[in-house]
Amino acid sequence: MTKKEIDEMLREKHGRVLGTLDRARTSKRVLEKEWDTKILPKTLKEVAKEYRLLGTFDPENPVPSDPELADAFFKAGYEAALRLGFYCPETESIIKLDADELAKDFNKAPKEFPVGQEGVVVKSRRPSDGVAPVFTAPLSIQMNEEAYIPVAQGIVSSKLVDCQEGPSLDTVMGSPMLADTPYESFGGIYEYHLRKEAQHRAGRDGMGNTLVSSASTHLGMMAAFNLYEMPQITLCLNPAFMKVNYTTFHKCIVANELGGMIRCESPNMIGGYSGGVETTALASIATDILQYPIVGAHLPGSPDYDIRYGGNCGRHGLWAQSMATQAITRNSDIILMKTINQVSGPMEEMFYLESICGMGAASASGQAFTISPRSAGGSRKNHLTPIDAWYNAAIFKGAAGLSLEKMNEICKKVLPMFEDKLMNPPKGKSFQDLYNVETLEPIPEYRDQYLKMRKFAEDLGIPMPGDGILS
Amino acid sequence: MMEEILKQMEEAIYDGDDELLDELMDKALEMGITPEDMIQEAGIKALDRLGDDFNNLMVFLPELMLGGECMKQLLDRVTPLMGGTSAYIGKVVIGCAKGDLHDIGKSLVATQLSVNGFDVIDLGVDVAPNKFIDTADKENADIIVVSSLLTTSQYYMEELIKRLGDEGKRDKYRVAIGGGPISGEYAKKIGADGYSRTCYSAVKMAKRLMEIKPTEELIIEND
Repeated sequence: MTKKEIDEMLREKHGRVLGTLDRARTSKRVLEKEWDTKILPKTLKEVAKEYRLLGTFDPENPVPSDPELADAFFKAGYEAALRLGFYCPETESIIKLDADELAKDFNKAPKEFPVGQEGVVVKSRRPSDGVAPVFTAPLSIQMNEEAYIPVAQGIVSSKLVDCQEGPSLDTVMGSPMLADTPYESFGGIYEYHLRKEAQHRAGRDGMGNTLVSSASTHLGMMAAFNLYEMPQITLCLNPAFMKVNYTTFHKCIVANELGGMIRCESPNMIGGYSGGVETTALASIATDILQYPIVGAHLPGSPDYDIRYGGNCGRHGLWAQSMATQAITRNSDIILMKTINQVSGPMEEMFYLESICGMGAASASGQAFTISPRSAGGSRKNHLTPIDAWYNAAIFKGAAGLSLEKMNEICKKVLPMFEDKLMNPPKGKSFQDLYNVETLEPIPEYRDQYLKMRKFAEDLGIPMPGDGILS
Repeated sequence: MMEEILKQMEEAIYDGDDELLDELMDKALEMGITPEDMIQEAGIKALDRLGDDFNNLMVFLPELMLGGECMKQLLDRVTPLMGGTSAYIGKVVIGCAKGDLHDIGKSLVATQLSVNGFDVIDLGVDVAPNKFIDTADKENADIIVVSSLLTTSQYYMEELIKRLGDEGKRDKYRVAIGGGPISGEYAKKIGADGYSRTCYSAVKMAKRLMEIKPTEELIIEND
């Protein structure tokens, strides 16, 4: 091949990321504080005012079901995406697209793609379309090294779980996995071996993955992504909505070269820099519109959390996230992914109730993919169980065909049963407390509670697919 | 007239209007309003309102930060007039642990501490243990606060405490920690002085820390 031919081949794969990097490097410098506290909130508020979105949040109806309002949010989100662009903290600059660039690219990501070798296909969805979304488990909750294989094996032993992401390790063969050090590179490799063993024991050698869970910077991913048979998904965690950083670009370059898919998560906080419920939903829509044109993300997701408790299963979080999801899924073919943060822990009744609201609203609103659970808000080591994951998976898949009105009615019934505890939630028990770690059987009280809460969800009108093991 | 000026100052702080606050402070000083009255009747009242409105999602983090900056502006201006007494409760050096780029929780705690009377030096994200120590030395800080959302960054909290010990400085600074994967148990394990679960309880924790010496006891605020 000539150099010209090599360049052309590589431009095909990497042109988008390289172009964005050039743009970030050469754009005008803006201080991050100016972006966070002035440019961002002011622009979001202006756009929300222009599109008459302020004051539309209705706490009495936590799952909105007005299609015209969702479409207005989409138009406003598109406008906000054009006016704002993404901020890059490393270059202290704003990466902006003009109207033609955005129009050309925003809906050009693949409408479906395969992951792993088990035939799982991630597909774009519409609200209430009845198409079962892809459920990935668990989020990156930290586990002891000794507990990693048993809990991962237990989780993926149910076919309700399509792909694996977490849990995460905080040590590697006894040494701390310090961020930004070679421990992280080794951590990616170590996680690969533990993960593959867990999947093998569960009979799921060809399972799809999102990677790498344990390392927070790009080092673990760069060390281990090529160990997996493609296609797999890389996990890019941007620091916040409307931002992209070099860690994400590192991962995108590796994934693009190896034939991987890119998942970009950019968390957003109601009450934070994006402001209130409506402007936070607006910021999420703008972020998800820009993820493919700027980063090349196949699976974008800007989840909306409530800054007061760090979750999104209360009224404000449910409404913002459902509205942001409906706006995208009604008006584009973007394959949307958002996470649901429970704040209560394993074997707490509140955990199931939060999951009914959060996972049900997400699925009915048209989410195509999620990763769950976030038991105990992810703040307690070893507070994660297979039952947590299976319950979430059943709700997420079961609610796909429910109307938004029905899901709203369900949330209105269930929310009063737990919302007063969101600020100080019960953290539940650990995997080791609730399971026989050798046989992977839950203690009888936990199994009974799970089956009772499955019935509770069914009685509410959510079809609950069986986990193949306990139900 | 004095009440009116104090009310206008309260509004300026609530609105984050630093220029108007400057003008009003000039007027207030000309009129002989005491620093204590300015702090209590204008500053604290404005910040209490901001705090309540933030809890009810009527104002948001940017407004809270601007209000905090105005409070700092007020305290910096009146401190020299208070006969050697600092208007601040204490001085805090805060940042996200090395490798952690998620600043919103840390910024919220920094803002809450600032609006509640602490002098806060915010080092931002991805802060190495040595930088926390060097800054605390330079600023003569009372408390070092470290936040981490990532398990791979939390170990730097332990390393910070170890380094303080190695350098013979552990009894100079109270060390408080917080963030998604952090718990009171972890704070106890690594020998921290304080842990708080939320930004609101961080203020209570920091105030309690100022009443004890470093390593004297572990203050945990889970509310």
